[in-house]
Amino acid sequence: MAQMWITMGPQHPMTHGLWTLRVKVDGETVVDTEAELGYIHRGVEKICESRDFTQVTPYCDRLCYVSAMTWANSYIYAAEDLLEADVPERAEYIRLISAELQRLASHLMWLGAFGPDIGNLTLMTWCMRDREMFLDLLQELGGSRMHYNYPRIGGVKRDIPVGFADRMIAKVKLFERRIDEYEMMLDESTIWLVRLQGVGYANAEEMVEAGVSGPNVRAAGVNYDVRWAHPYSVYDEVDWEPAVEKPTSVKGADCYDRYRVRMEEMRQSCRMVLDAIEKIPGGKNTNYANGDEMIYQKAPTRAPEGATGFSNYECTRGASQFYIQGGGDGRGKNPYRLSIRSPMFITIPFVAKTMIGYKVADIPAIMGSFDPCIGETDR
Amino acid sequence: MGTTVTLSQNEAAANDCLAAINDRFSGSGVVASVERHSNAKKYAFVRITTPPQHWQALAKWLRFDLGVNYCSMVTGTHYPEGPQERGWEVAYHFLRQPITDQLPNTHTVYVAEKLDGRLIPMEFEVLIPLENNDSPTVPTVQHIWGGADWNEKETWDLVGIKFEGHKNMHRVLNPHDSPEGFHPLQKQHKIRYHDHNEMYDDAQGFGRKPADEGRIK
Repeated sequence: MAQMWITMGPQHPMTHGLWTLRVKVDGETVVDTEAELGYIHRGVEKICESRDFTQVTPYCDRLCYVSAMTWANSYIYAAEDLLEADVPERAEYIRLISAELQRLASHLMWLGAFGPDIGNLTLMTWCMRDREMFLDLLQELGGSRMHYNYPRIGGVKRDIPVGFADRMIAKVKLFERRIDEYEMMLDESTIWLVRLQGVGYANAEEMVEAGVSGPNVRAAGVNYDVRWAHPYSVYDEVDWEPAVEKPTSVKGADCYDRYRVRMEEMRQSCRMVLDAIEKIPGGKNTNYANGDEMIYQKAPTRAPEGATGFSNYECTRGASQFYIQGGGDGRGKNPYRLSIRSPMFITIPFVAKTMIGYKVADIPAIMGSFDPCIGETDR
Repeated sequence: MGTTVTLSQNEAAANDCLAAINDRFSGSGVVASVERHSNAKKYAFVRITTPPQHWQALAKWLRFDLGVNYCSMVTGTHYPEGPQERGWEVAYHFLRQPITDQLPNTHTVYVAEKLDGRLIPMEFEVLIPLENNDSPTVPTVQHIWGGADWNEKETWDLVGIKFEGHKNMHRVLNPHDSPEGFHPLQKQHKIRYHDHNEMYDDAQGFGRKPADEGRIK
């Protein structure tokens, strides 16, 4: 049969955003693919060069609209490296809790969007219902539902409100049972298994060679997580273990493994926040004033020329990294150059190539299982 | 608990890597040192500065002898007022990850505190200063790390650093029909609004006059 190129995107439910997948098909079979990105390139790196270090945080929030807190945290660690800021331990605990709550919300958004891809529309409504609980909690911290501007260089904007701990514990415990409900619905659902198992194989070494990271690699049976390998925050003090999935084939992880690893990761996040809230220094029911030395320590605002800052952070989709050079405008008040490494920017071209050999109908399942987010891809 | 790599493991691994690099490359212009982050847990990493002509040899050695298997990030920087020998700089960030391929139905769970030698995760920063001229060029490492492929594409697209030998180089974030030689992260390009006063005085943008008016298309 004659081969032809068809274009999926930029407006296509499979994209989960705005990009184009060009697919060369031979009948129903994918024989070649090409990813085209850049539709929502906003030039964040350039904009940041004319903002001071505090003003950069909201831009980082907006890199990924379902995972704002982890991206802001990631930037903050790089800025702290550059400015040599110290952080009180209570603030580190609050950051850990906020990041893990964000991970829950982000994975729920992924699951909610992935369900309709596969043909399970109910899942969307269930996940949105549960995500609302975590958005409420994050709103208590940051004041808004999606873009929080919460972490600060040297601490966090404000302490956890009175009663936050109890509400969080209740919601997380409820959600732990809800994960079981999801698994009851999905793990034995014929449509779910047929669409996901044996589709979209990718093995660990190939993925690492291509630069893929995070849950997608852990789904292939390898325990590699920035949170233990290059630790930041207080991950060494709370009770958790990385979620790793056993792949069932020599070909590596299929879409089903990638779904499993994210469910397990949600469990671990629940376990982590429940442990962290009990261990938080200063007590879970105290509320320190804004700028108190328990939650914030004043940091320098200028960085000299030649100074650099780097952070490696386990975002919800893999390792996000920031590299900042000091000595920009305003006698070092602005970054001279700020570079952002987005895990999805590397992953999407890789995923496009893993689709070769599968059917056109498998494309939404394969793409969706890698959890693409275009906001951070295009920056 | 206690599942993270400790500072002493990290220190030992960084020093091992430094010794190996110095052993292999001393006297060639490749300079390595162990540096320390000043954020979070103050972990150490290896910083290497290399002239561009030694970059591919160093890259192959890092990849195949030192086991640095993950290219995470490429950053190009433009220093128009820099010295003659450093008008541009390319910074590569690498990670060494203890990853082996899995047999079916197995998974590898590392006990972080018991890792030693090459299995300890380590972070590498390679800086390549380039001469101050109009066509900064550095040899590609696309064939050594697959992860460098799209990162190098992005660096060329945004900063304009040419990667010699890179196959299939094209625009990735800018529009595909951007004018040749247009790389927005070069310092001669100014963004339209310089500070917020200008923005608030004329919020609608009617009297908009960008700083580079008349000089761009």
